[in-house]
Amino acid sequence: MSGTHPFRDRTAIAGIGRTDYSKNSGVSTLTLALRAIRAALDDAGLATSDVDGVACHRVGDSVQATIVAQSLGIKDVRFHLDLFGGGSQSAWTVGLAAQAVAAGVADCIVCWRSINARSGFRMGGTGRAAPDSIEFQYQSPYWFATPPQQFAMYGRAYMDKYGVTSEDLGRVAISQREFATLNPRAMMQAPLSMDDYLESRMIVEPFRLFDCCLETDAAVAVVITSTERARTLRQRPVLVSSAACGGGHTLYSNGRDDLSTSGAAQLAPRLFDAAEMSPSDIDVAELYDAFTPLVLLQLEDYGFVAKGEGAALVAAGSTSLGGSLPVNTHGGHLSEGYVHGLNHLAEAVDQLRGDAGPRQTDGAEVALVTGQPGYVAGTSSALILRADK
Amino acid sequence: MSINRPLPIADLDSVAWWSAVSRHEFVCARCTDCNVWRWPARAICGACGSMTWEWQELTGNGTIASWIVNRHGFGGAFPLPSTVVLVRLAEQDDLLLPGGWAGSADGAGLSVGLSVVVGFEDIESETGDSDHAVLSWGPRDG
Repeated sequence: MSGTHPFRDRTAIAGIGRTDYSKNSGVSTLTLALRAIRAALDDAGLATSDVDGVACHRVGDSVQATIVAQSLGIKDVRFHLDLFGGGSQSAWTVGLAAQAVAAGVADCIVCWRSINARSGFRMGGTGRAAPDSIEFQYQSPYWFATPPQQFAMYGRAYMDKYGVTSEDLGRVAISQREFATLNPRAMMQAPLSMDDYLESRMIVEPFRLFDCCLETDAAVAVVITSTERARTLRQRPVLVSSAACGGGHTLYSNGRDDLSTSGAAQLAPRLFDAAEMSPSDIDVAELYDAFTPLVLLQLEDYGFVAKGEGAALVAAGSTSLGGSLPVNTHGGHLSEGYVHGLNHLAEAVDQLRGDAGPRQTDGAEVALVTGQPGYVAGTSSALILRADK
Repeated sequence: MSINRPLPIADLDSVAWWSAVSRHEFVCARCTDCNVWRWPARAICGACGSMTWEWQELTGNGTIASWIVNRHGFGGAFPLPSTVVLVRLAEQDDLLLPGGWAGSADGAGLSVGLSVVVGFEDIESETGDSDHAVLSWGPRDG
């Protein structure tokens, strides 16, 4: 490849916004979305009249993007996106919006995830209907449908292949909890010991309670605009260096037979090439962590270590506070809250602006933000972000 | 033995497969041009792009790719513990089918790579007819 990738650093995150995190917001997903968007626009120093595009991902659990556009008073929606999918799509929603801005389709796009994941639509069931996917017919008769069950199936295959132990998973949860104790937003503030982890109840073997993410009512929004324009706004811009999507195998055949490697391994080379970077350039990584093994898996599939060596990297403290590659510095979905990948993006922005307070990674200039690594829905997505010089 | 399970909700691409299962027949779509098996059944071959295929009988043999043991009910009314297996079919390495486990409810004795053979479990409908069935895998001796 020669020359600079045409997309690299042309767009920026100009603002971020979060609602309160709770177990019962008491408001609609539309109201949550609007609160997060208002906060993101305030952060950027923009007005609602500046917005000409809207983008979100959802799985039939949240308000439509065009209704948000109508609520914001956008009379001519130049870009809209309602991406069907869970966390695997979180980085791609933002990546597509950034590409639309780079292509001149729109000037200022708000991206968000809004979900009453505890009080409304619990991923883990409570009697709701199976997701709208034809593949569930092959699972649901066996009472096999919820994300903990699906990821436990993959988790065991990964653990079996590489000799990963419960303690290895526990160290992921403990490291992230340490970060959460430094994060006033985090839903889980109490320190977690290995005994706490090992004694937590089994949910679905091999997963214990603390292998599983939280369920949170919240919305997080970001504002995407051109780098040029972002430099005129209130905050130091965080540039979108690259965005990629890839993979595609599910619990069902798509010509691949290895359950212990994710779609992230396929998109990672494209992601780094487009940013003209390598894994060693990443200062901080916000890795989608619906369940503990996903962190180990992604450390490998994004090329930080070889296959099977993720657990050793975590055990060495490299991914913890003060380590060489801090991971999930907000506490992640395991301990901060569950906003389907967008809270990882907001944390990366805080880190690259130097706004992360006691959990700040010293000198953080480049961040990796990932979506769910592709299990279940098949495809995955990720972003490389960097602080503007 | 029949127990109450969620009924399979077939679509137009899968209704024939579920009908076969209800007759305790284990079949899979197979490309008649390149002979690659297609799971789940699809109108096009993901290997060669052919639109032609037919249902063919499987041996019913496979190995355990993974399994889970439910210890929490997720708001559903199902027995605890209960085990769900993911089986890699003998015919092709990328054919992975979830199913019930006819062995111990807590999954004792399972291991990745264990040889298994398909079985069937009838499901009663609300009218009491046993007109549906699901897969129930068990160990294959020898």
